[in-house]
Amino acid sequence: MRAMAAAFNRAHDEEGLAVHLTFFPDFQYTEKVSIASAAHDLPDVLALDGPTVAQFVDADLLQPIARYFTDEELADFAPTIRAQGTVDGTLYALGAFDSAMVLYYDRDLLAQAGVTPPPDFNGWTWDEFLAACARLKAASIDPVAMHMDDAGDEWYTYAFSPLIWSAGGRLIGDDGRVEGVLNAPGNVTVLRRWAEVFARDYAARAPIDPNPFGNGHTALDWTGHWMARSHLAVKGERLGAMPLPRMGDRPVAACGSWCWGLTRDARSPDLAALWLRWVTDPVRGIEPIIGANGAVPARRSAYALFPDYHAPPFGLFRHLQETAGHPRPRTPFYPTLTRHFAAALRDTAHGADPQECLNRAAHQIQNRVNRHHGSP
Amino acid sequence: MKQRLTIPRIVPWLFLAPALLLLGTFALFPLLRGAWWSLTNADLLRTDAAVWTGAANYSELLSDPRFRRAFFNTACFALMVVPVQATLAFFLALWVNRPERYWRWLRTAFFLPIIVSMPVLAVLWTMLYQPLRGGQTGLINALIGSIGLPAQEWLQQPHLALPAIAFMSVWQGVGFQMMIFLAGLQSLSRAQLEAARIDGAGAFQRLRHVILPAMRPSIIFVMTATLILSFRLFAQPYLMTRGGPEDATLSIIQFIYETTFLGRELGRASAGAMLFLLLVAGLALLQRAFAREVRS
Repeated sequence: MRAMAAAFNRAHDEEGLAVHLTFFPDFQYTEKVSIASAAHDLPDVLALDGPTVAQFVDADLLQPIARYFTDEELADFAPTIRAQGTVDGTLYALGAFDSAMVLYYDRDLLAQAGVTPPPDFNGWTWDEFLAACARLKAASIDPVAMHMDDAGDEWYTYAFSPLIWSAGGRLIGDDGRVEGVLNAPGNVTVLRRWAEVFARDYAARAPIDPNPFGNGHTALDWTGHWMARSHLAVKGERLGAMPLPRMGDRPVAACGSWCWGLTRDARSPDLAALWLRWVTDPVRGIEPIIGANGAVPARRSAYALFPDYHAPPFGLFRHLQETAGHPRPRTPFYPTLTRHFAAALRDTAHGADPQECLNRAAHQIQNRVNRHHGSP
Repeated sequence: MKQRLTIPRIVPWLFLAPALLLLGTFALFPLLRGAWWSLTNADLLRTDAAVWTGAANYSELLSDPRFRRAFFNTACFALMVVPVQATLAFFLALWVNRPERYWRWLRTAFFLPIIVSMPVLAVLWTMLYQPLRGGQTGLINALIGSIGLPAQEWLQQPHLALPAIAFMSVWQGVGFQMMIFLAGLQSLSRAQLEAARIDGAGAFQRLRHVILPAMRPSIIFVMTATLILSFRLFAQPYLMTRGGPEDATLSIIQFIYETTFLGRELGRASAGAMLFLLLVAGLALLQRAFAREVRS
């Protein structure tokens, strides 16, 4: 990021234009932005996590950005990236990269248990996934890592909402209704079936090892693009990747990532937008970023720069982005939603009744939404 | 002598000014600001658009079952920690109150958890509390398994999580209280203890009739300090259970923190903080009244 800013500053030296980056820890993010906002001292451009765009729009901190890009350029961005930055039909944020969730597998361990992986780009149904886990377990191999040791809330919403979406469920309605939507019978069934993975001890409820798949202890790994390089380095040819198992008819993939927006306080939006264009430019922005973080390029034209993305596992990320990507809900109440939904998932995994957990979560989120609309 | 008395009246204020300025800026001003916000619908990202809502935040919070749950959890935690920690600290202090040099090592060992950062301890204890699974077993489950008791999911079961966190907190904080008791014990009059021994008082009688009465101020201080500290519970449950399972370890501070930074409801969170302040101030006043009574 620093090298990118330096390149930008060199290129705009004659115009006297420069970018000054400020970094701060993730956990201080809302605090810093709120203080800057109260003091009318926001930076011209702001990096923000995809699902939080709507709350910053709701607080009137961002301005529309579509006019700084041509229609052709906008069409070049992955639909998932455009969708996560769009609130009520207006585009407020664009990023250089996307994310992808897959089920990695170790070919040798699957073969030992007599499990055949699906053909490339195809995933298992939930029943097929459970059957594979059962065969692995019977062969004394720990089936799958679900990373339930993750302390944050976002992992749970990000990693497991695709199951709800694949079964046709939603987390929040378009009208902001949560009760009756999040705790709908379909979602309760999804959570109940999901929890079988823990009840049958196919995945650890409280693991210590953050990377049991990489360490050779599990045959499957329910995780994201960020593990591709390290898994490839350890497993080489043995590494396979397939889409996440699905509960319904259609495969759905998690997606979304950090992106950039133009703030309300930007004094010269036209100039600030130059940085936005720079970081999302395939050569100047996307190539160095993807080279560093191994994520999924946000623009179709950028794939030409990455030959890896024509074959698995990286090719699968691209396939999922184009065919199955589903952004997380765009609501100003997302942080509250993810907090309580994550708690419902955690509690369900530990044996609590999914109906009660989802009722409790839906009630808490609905209360927050109602308070916002002045109807406690 | 006369000259001393004619110091201009402003001089003491000049000496006080730095402290008053700091207190005013960093304590009084935020407090008043918070009190004001608690009476509005302030949004964390849009504080200038706050609208006066009177006592609405307070009445809503007091009738919110989740806030009451956070309050109940924190009070339960305090009720578990205060008596156990104070008693344990007292007996540890009696035990290590010996003049020989090597006892110092033991004192240091008991005090050590105080100076280790809480997040580190939280990760460590999460591992110690690991449930039984395959080859991975936390030390605590391994220990209770070795005496024939069944392994438990300490941090994952609603009825066990808060006691498990309280146990860890007692272990972490007991060294501090032990040091206070130790200071109290070392200032006891040796002559009085000698006299009691010569009069034929046994160990228990000496404890009951000599040590305990003399230690009363230390005991009251330790009890109330622990009470107030335990109401400030946040880091352990936030890091070990995220307030779960099923809100069983949700603390008042976590409730306020999440209302501010996840819900952006600064007004509501400020009202929670004000109620919390009243509670802790009430406890502190109670302590002063109690201490005064004991002294008289």
